[in-house]
Amino acid sequence: MVELPLLEQPARHSFPLRVSSRVADSPALMPGRAPRSGEQYRFHFDMAKCIGCKCCVVACNEQNGNPAEINWRRVGEIEGGVYPLVERWHLSMGCNHCLEPSCLIGCPVEAFTKDPATGIVDHNADICIGCQYCTWNCSYGVPQYNPERGVVGKCDMCHGRLNQGDSPACVNACPEGAIAIEIVDIAAWLRDHAGAEAPGMPSSEDSFSTTRISLPAGLGAGLQPADLQRVDLERVHAQDPHWSLIFLLVLTQLAVGALGTLWALNLVGAVLASWAALVPLAIAGVALAAAPLHLGRPAFAHRAIRNWKRSWLSREVLALSLFAGAAAAYAGALFLNLPIAPIAGGCALAAGLAGVACSARIYMVPARPAWNLNFTLTDFGLTCAVLGPRLVLAAGLGRGNGLIAFAIMASILQCGNSVARLITMWRSPAHELSSAARLVRNTLRRVLIARFVCTALALVLVPFSPIPAFLFALAGETAGRYLFFAGVVPKSMASTYLTPKEAAA
Amino acid sequence: MMQGLGRLLGIDNLSEKYAYVDDPALGHTSARRTAERWVKTTCGYCSVGCGMEIGVRAGKPVAVRGWEDHPVSLGKLCPKGLSEHQTLAAPNRAIHPLRKRNGRFERVTWDQAIDQMVTEIRYIQALHGPDSFGVIGTGQLVTEEFYTLGKLVQLGFGTKNYDGNTTLCMASAVSGYKRSFGCDGPPGAYDDFRAADVILLIGANIADNHPVLCQHLEGNREAFKIVADPRVTKTAMLADLHLALKPRSDIALLNGIARVLIDENLIDRAYIDQHTEGFDDLSAFLKKEWPVERAAAVTGLAADVIVHVARVYGRARAGFLAWTMGVNHSTQGAETVNAICNLSLLTGKLGQPGASPFSITGQCNAMGTRETGFASSLPGYRKFENAAHREELANIWGVPAARIPSARGLAYPDIIQAAADGQIKALWIIATNPVVSFPNKPQLERALSNLDFLVVQDGFHPTPTSELADLVLPAAIWGEKEGTYTNSERRVSKVNKAVEPPGEARSDFEVLLHLATRLGCRQELFPGWTEPKDAFEEWKRVSRGRLCDYSGMTYELIEKHGGLQWPFPESHTDVSPSRLYTDGHFEFDNGKARLIAVDCQPFPDAPTDEFPLVLNTGRTVEHWHTRTKTAQVAILERMAPNAWLEMNPSDAQRLGFRSHDRVNVTSRRGHVDRVELRITQIVAPGQVFMPFHFSETNVNEVTQDAFDPISREPNYKQCAVHVTLSDSPGRRP
Repeated sequence: MVELPLLEQPARHSFPLRVSSRVADSPALMPGRAPRSGEQYRFHFDMAKCIGCKCCVVACNEQNGNPAEINWRRVGEIEGGVYPLVERWHLSMGCNHCLEPSCLIGCPVEAFTKDPATGIVDHNADICIGCQYCTWNCSYGVPQYNPERGVVGKCDMCHGRLNQGDSPACVNACPEGAIAIEIVDIAAWLRDHAGAEAPGMPSSEDSFSTTRISLPAGLGAGLQPADLQRVDLERVHAQDPHWSLIFLLVLTQLAVGALGTLWALNLVGAVLASWAALVPLAIAGVALAAAPLHLGRPAFAHRAIRNWKRSWLSREVLALSLFAGAAAAYAGALFLNLPIAPIAGGCALAAGLAGVACSARIYMVPARPAWNLNFTLTDFGLTCAVLGPRLVLAAGLGRGNGLIAFAIMASILQCGNSVARLITMWRSPAHELSSAARLVRNTLRRVLIARFVCTALALVLVPFSPIPAFLFALAGETAGRYLFFAGVVPKSMASTYLTPKEAAA
Repeated sequence: MMQGLGRLLGIDNLSEKYAYVDDPALGHTSARRTAERWVKTTCGYCSVGCGMEIGVRAGKPVAVRGWEDHPVSLGKLCPKGLSEHQTLAAPNRAIHPLRKRNGRFERVTWDQAIDQMVTEIRYIQALHGPDSFGVIGTGQLVTEEFYTLGKLVQLGFGTKNYDGNTTLCMASAVSGYKRSFGCDGPPGAYDDFRAADVILLIGANIADNHPVLCQHLEGNREAFKIVADPRVTKTAMLADLHLALKPRSDIALLNGIARVLIDENLIDRAYIDQHTEGFDDLSAFLKKEWPVERAAAVTGLAADVIVHVARVYGRARAGFLAWTMGVNHSTQGAETVNAICNLSLLTGKLGQPGASPFSITGQCNAMGTRETGFASSLPGYRKFENAAHREELANIWGVPAARIPSARGLAYPDIIQAAADGQIKALWIIATNPVVSFPNKPQLERALSNLDFLVVQDGFHPTPTSELADLVLPAAIWGEKEGTYTNSERRVSKVNKAVEPPGEARSDFEVLLHLATRLGCRQELFPGWTEPKDAFEEWKRVSRGRLCDYSGMTYELIEKHGGLQWPFPESHTDVSPSRLYTDGHFEFDNGKARLIAVDCQPFPDAPTDEFPLVLNTGRTVEHWHTRTKTAQVAILERMAPNAWLEMNPSDAQRLGFRSHDRVNVTSRRGHVDRVELRITQIVAPGQVFMPFHFSETNVNEVTQDAFDPISREPNYKQCAVHVTLSDSPGRRP
């Protein structure tokens, strides 16, 4: 029999047993001083200490008076290995108070601020208009929309408590001392932020997360951190389709496409009806009027252009408003037969295309890998080309084989774009992309079929029956946009195995 | 209207509702948590006994917080404790006495309810004998109520057939302690987690079940920690060594360890000779029956691992052995406890700091009902069969000794069996929910439907059990009444009233006195009693001189120190961690503890070709028991909204299952359907695990009603099942 001295750890591979990987240090949970210049506060999470009890989650909700379905701090699970040599660990995360907060950068109304003294990323519920763009921008799923309030909210590291020298609610509640507040040297962290990486966490590169995560020191059975898988990988649900945004996108792209078609026809010498440009103008008007319905606080929609220097959402609003204005000028000029009509039309088209590009850029964010593909930009652009000429044909505003050929070509390209996007996602090693492809192929299969059938019908019908061709194209692009919104798997930290219960309807 | 429009347009963003304040007690926090007063109390969920305070504003509970510097919880609470105030205002609270007429409940007054209850029970007892009335209690009343209840049932109603749901969780520990030490009562203290240099947790998943204890475990950085559990629990992850043994092989492990201790002379012969008996028999038995190789074969562990563990434990300065339901929920539960106690006795360190065989209790006051008893023993751990004990009690109470029963009545499962057999005709169920918690639900339902009269007294209605009742008595719960709880380490803690009970709900104490009045025995049994303190004062006299001596305690002293551990005789002042049997004197007549040879039997419902998987049951940290409370706390329900079945990938692959499939679990007794499948390596091939909290998918549809012949505790932890697919959402092609 093997002689084993007292407390010596037995060799790992010889027994069906697990040897501890917990570390034995007990640092203070609060930094004991305020950050100096070039420093900020951050969370430290010690995975080896966490027992997955979720006290932090409950304490956070109590502290902030949040309803159960909004959790500014969340606990996730990761596991790996083969029984009995299994590692199962937890993540507990609030906001990572990033050095380059994507929520803040994207927010159209500048509701987020990064406190210069503490580095805390704060959110102001009175400025917020509830557009929820931050919830798409954050790779960690930190900002969460509160439908009761019409605004988002997020972990502010219990800023108010820190100011009074109290620890945040999560730090205070943890029975294991697994969560702590630390001070980080910003420049050093920008150079090396590997300490933010952990299995089950999205890369810290997206926005330079400051949360430091201590992994268990040395996993058993020769496991590496990468062998630990998040346990929620198979739990993929279709996202909210955002009908108002589908409406907004498809109609603005239709309007830009139709206006562009009219303008181009006019340019090559076709005579337009004097009221022709009123059609895209009316469509743009309806789309823009409906846009605020997406907001939690429609009354403050006008704030949305405030952050045009940084936010693609502000830029989209700005560009599409300019488009509407220029389209009105174009329509007026056409109607009054003014010579400036081609110039006004060109301006409208430029603003419209810029608006469509801004729309696409809104969605091209690292936190939503299935959106963050160039296919998004081509998709949105091709929607203009698929719908615009067909509307002009259907409404009898123009005709000609060139127009028909253009429409057919656009549909073929759009189909190709959709297929290429799906294949790219399907073949991706990234869970968010391959799972999104699976989601589209399985859960959303009917919409996917509708998308291609409608587009194919729109393609073949356009030479013969322009009105059905247009309607099928409209249905096809609407289905495409539905797939776009519903068929995305956001980046997020690992969640738990069970689907958290949603609010009662 | 304007408000709705304001909300719709977003002009109003509910900033008042979501405002923060700088609260003098809590610091910067949600304004909704600001309290006018804070009431110190003890948590009402599990037996850890965490100190906490309830914040009250305008008569409503608005917050809880940990009791800073509390000796048990050090200011911490688990997720259930942190949201416990929400249970008080739960929408499913029982608020009126209800009588069932023509299948529908109708409101009655308390007088009518009590009158009906006494009339019906007296009628049934007159017709079928006094013992045709059974009572099933709980571990969740205050000790004062348990004491009152026991007296009322045994001396007032005059039936012996009274037991608690504690038989579903702690009976094996009780019986095991009695057999090894001559008396119930966990000998150790939580301080042992810190004082030990070797800790062996057997069938105890404290990270899920007693999370606040983990800070004591993890607070001890030096100790070598071993967890024996067939499942890779969260607690197993806290261990230096996880012994992934086969289900129900703990006795084999313990016998193997004991054999090595004896073989390698890691035992204390002087202690054994002086303070124990049975060593020669045990030694001979182990030498004959339990070579380490057999222990290895039965447990599935390598022999040198068992030897290693034995040496680590045998050479420890202080080895702490703690267990929970993995041990108790077994047809050999009491004997497993004996095998654990054997290890402690063999090494002769029992009673020293860090060295004790320690049963971590389940419910907040399971200990209180064990002490004040009248179910498994007479009050003060006195024995039914001991005439002197009966005489002693009779003298204190001023009743003839003949009125005190000389043998215990039926245990919980036997009351159920007697109901099924038609011998128990009336049943009073207090603060427990057997339709969800009792094994083999189909059999239980047959028993309950056989009753002539069922009274359910509970803080919640409807529950799956109260729905079956003829009479529902609405009770006050934790936070609405005063008394004491005893935790796992024998710490008696104060429980205080923070708010009024809802509607017409009354404290169980008031209900019991009301019943006594109606029975005409109030003056005799409860002379002059008006409040729980009256019961406490009498209980102090009853416990005086007993192991569980309360006589030196007062409510004020208890509260001052965050609880007092018994024994706390008069003139006792030491409040440092206390342990039993420090002098090696045990509660048997000869003062010696018993070393008991126990064999390891296979569990009764062995897997077969038809039922090839072994089902294990247990808890999750978010929920408490049958979820009558925690399902009403939205944040807990959100985090654990449904039951699941853990299955090893090798079994899942063989059966063609995928993650999140819904599966049906079937045993010889019944089936539970549409359980969410979790494919995970944390369970062994051939084993599956399911939590027991969920009435909607109730694992007790399939568990076995096999009971420990000694303790009468059910064998919840192993039964044979097969698993089939019910449906598969979002299946991949």
